[in-house]
Amino acid sequence: MPSPLGLLFILLGTTIVLLVVILVRPSLTATIGGKVLAFLAFCALPVLCGVWGLSEHFERSKQTNFCLSCHIMEPYGRSLYVDDVNHIPAAHFQNHRIPVDEACYTCHTNYAMYGTVGVKLHGLRHVYVEYLGTPMNPIHLYEPFNNRECLHCHAGARSFENEIHTPMMDQLKSNQLSCVSSGCHDTVHNIDSLNKFKQWRATE
Amino acid sequence: MKVDQLGFPWAFQISGILLLLGLSTEAVSLFWVHPIAFIAFFVFGGTFLAVGVLLFLYSLVLFPSSSHPQDLRKN
Repeated sequence: MPSPLGLLFILLGTTIVLLVVILVRPSLTATIGGKVLAFLAFCALPVLCGVWGLSEHFERSKQTNFCLSCHIMEPYGRSLYVDDVNHIPAAHFQNHRIPVDEACYTCHTNYAMYGTVGVKLHGLRHVYVEYLGTPMNPIHLYEPFNNRECLHCHAGARSFENEIHTPMMDQLKSNQLSCVSSGCHDTVHNIDSLNKFKQWRATE
Repeated sequence: MKVDQLGFPWAFQISGILLLLGLSTEAVSLFWVHPIAFIAFFVFGGTFLAVGVLLFLYSLVLFPSSSHPQDLRKN
């Protein structure tokens, strides 16, 4: 059974062949069957290909290597391999607390209604700034990191809802107290000090 | 020589060419995992596909069945 991407390529190829056949032999559309074929080739299949392609690109844009394909993100990619348990992204990435293939997206998406659309629009802004504008130096988030993204996974977990976190849960949920900038878990990507730490390498 | 005389209304031909360009752009963009590939697909592929499909639908109105190649030959 071909993969979804393989099926998409088969559909693209079929549509292209149908289009070429009808363009080369327009007389085929003289019959009712030919008209249906023309409608499929000129309308239904291209729309299906476009929607499927968009969905495929959306899924790809969640991949870690997609985010790290821009030069400016390279040190952030290296920060995932810092051999230090206090580095929050590295600890999550190396211990598979997040899917390693979607490491950036998992923490930097927006776990709210239409959050995915919002982060995709942010992504388009990143591309605009990277190629047509002037990237921030140093780069930083457009908005402060929302605790909601941490609590999406940690809330309700036995190891999290302990005597340390439970008393401050209301403040955490309302973002009055930030998980990452209130002195508790504030060693995040810290790209300025990456060279001070050894890099971890996964064994093959 | 008019395009119509080649056997297919011009709008269908342009629509077909735009769709071929759009589908080709989409196919090429799927070989590359990079923001530029997404932009190429979204901006160029999406535009070609959308204009191609809309032109096809518009041409159904522009060239009703009486101007079908087969009927043109009868005339």
